[in-house]
Amino acid sequence: MRPGGRSRLRRYRQAWVRHAILLAWTFFIVFPLYWMLSTSFKDAGEWVSWPPHWYPHEFTIHNYRQIFTFSALGEELSRDATEQAFSIWKALGDSLLICSVASFLALVLGVFLAYAISRFAVGGSKFRHIILTIRMVPPIVIAIPILMYYAIMIPFTTELLFGARITLFDTYFGLGALYVATTLPFVIWMMLSFIDEVPFTLEHAARMMGAGRMYTLRRVVLPLVASGLVVTYLFVFILNWSEFLLALTLTHPEVTTLPVLLNKFQSASEGRLYGPQAAIGTVITIPVVVLGVLIQKHLIKGFSFGMIRR
Amino acid sequence: MAGSRQPAAAGAAPPSRGRPPPGRRLAAWLSQERVFRLIPFIAVEAVFILVIIIPFILTIYISLLRWRANRPFEQANFSGFLNYGRVLGKDEFWMALGRTFYFAGAAVILELLIGFVLAYLLHRHFRGRRLYITIFLAPMMVVPVVVGYNFSMIYVDSGPLNEILAPFLEPFGIDPRIRWLSHPLAAQWAIILADVWQWTSLTFLIFLSGFAALPQQLVDAARVLGASPSQIFWRVHLPLLKPAIIIAVVIRSMEALKMFDPVVLLTFGGPGISTQTIAYYLWQEVWVFNKYSYGAAASILLLIFFAVFIFLGIWLLVRQRESVRRVDV
Repeated sequence: MRPGGRSRLRRYRQAWVRHAILLAWTFFIVFPLYWMLSTSFKDAGEWVSWPPHWYPHEFTIHNYRQIFTFSALGEELSRDATEQAFSIWKALGDSLLICSVASFLALVLGVFLAYAISRFAVGGSKFRHIILTIRMVPPIVIAIPILMYYAIMIPFTTELLFGARITLFDTYFGLGALYVATTLPFVIWMMLSFIDEVPFTLEHAARMMGAGRMYTLRRVVLPLVASGLVVTYLFVFILNWSEFLLALTLTHPEVTTLPVLLNKFQSASEGRLYGPQAAIGTVITIPVVVLGVLIQKHLIKGFSFGMIRR
Repeated sequence: MAGSRQPAAAGAAPPSRGRPPPGRRLAAWLSQERVFRLIPFIAVEAVFILVIIIPFILTIYISLLRWRANRPFEQANFSGFLNYGRVLGKDEFWMALGRTFYFAGAAVILELLIGFVLAYLLHRHFRGRRLYITIFLAPMMVVPVVVGYNFSMIYVDSGPLNEILAPFLEPFGIDPRIRWLSHPLAAQWAIILADVWQWTSLTFLIFLSGFAALPQQLVDAARVLGASPSQIFWRVHLPLLKPAIIIAVVIRSMEALKMFDPVVLLTFGGPGISTQTIAYYLWQEVWVFNKYSYGAAASILLLIFFAVFIFLGIWLLVRQRESVRRVDV
């Protein structure tokens, strides 16, 4: 056999091994998601039948109707007493409100600081790393102080000052403020990797022609990092959207985010409601996975942490 | 917030000559170089102080009290370092801490190895590469609670995992309907597996961008000089990927030590206490048993423990970044 032929044979074998490994991992990744999707279309009898049904034998959208129902339930829906707790609308609204506003505020604050760090080295040359420490503290360590701060200190202080007990526990503002603080480090890190790449000479030229600081930032720098802004916003939104521990510990029963709602059924005493849970899981997963696929190319850059230099 | 809005007014109309009205004079003062650069810094620091620092100071105070939820806060007695002693003397605390490191260690090692292999297989262009990347990155976006739910469905005694294993178990007379989450060791690895499922995507992403940043000329030069593929891998790829490896290790270890969501969704710390991580343990002490002072002392101690790791991690990141900068120059 010619040497070229042998190397081609080896290349085929390599490609075959590579695809075998990649397909195995693909199966491992896709299967849990597929199982959730198929459970969400199964009727109650099929959720945990043995042997398990690989696909819904009796295709039904009952689970989705349950979670998207408003309040008045038809007789076919009122199969057990917990129907009221199913409705997803409240949690969906709360999640959307808190996540979108908190992500926006974090983005605004973070972009200005990232610009200041990138251009003037505000806070010293190590500041961009120091700011990461906040992200590295485990959330449970933050949750306990915050609980006491929101539930004790702020009511106590406001009573002294204004004569009314105002609590931040279980409020939109309380949870949102915490989300802003915990996602700021990520905003700053991601925006730094975009702003660092904008050539300083452009700004210099604009300044020479008499543009103000703010004008330069708005008309020169921000348009150049527009895609970065979008990516960062979406990424932070996803972070807040999937946040569980802080939402679980700092809200009950007024404010409910979607992860907390999903968890509620997990320990339900009357038996777990696999179908509606799967439906909720599908509903909260699909938008973020779609967003993630949309920003995928930029994520590779945003996560390079300064490894990619051009 | 207010701080960053005011200069916006200044930017819209650059300060004109003559006598500007007071509002504009303030704006002009704010847009001065030495003031302007500090505004975002002060705004962000204010958020951190209000939301993070003050609560911690309060927590230190509460940790010195002797207070549970059964009486008003104002009547709590001062108890010195009693709570700290109780935390340090509790076996459950140390066991939960050790278990957290065991989970994080096992999960991070697996994630690094698998993520690296996947990134290596995908770092060159071939047909279907983009599709693989898209699928492999998807778990990162899935809400962790949903991951926990998915795996609880798979481990359930009449779930698909047992169905797959059934042909191998039934000939030996073993009932294939195994309750995976009722056995301590199996439950621990069930949680680790769920973590690996989700976060291998992140190590994969970091390694993939590391491979993308490799200077191709160096690899080509090595090949031209007659290096074998294994030599290229060990002598060229691996040293150049060191920054990516450091970043992946630091970021994943930090995140893995926070492990909470899969524990709540899969096992509720059980069977017994065999899957309680430190986050779950503290959550239970404070939110289930209402031991506020105890929880406050434990969270301060935990912060001190973790500070060592956090600074180690930050130091590694800083060093890595500076080495990159040196290569650039």
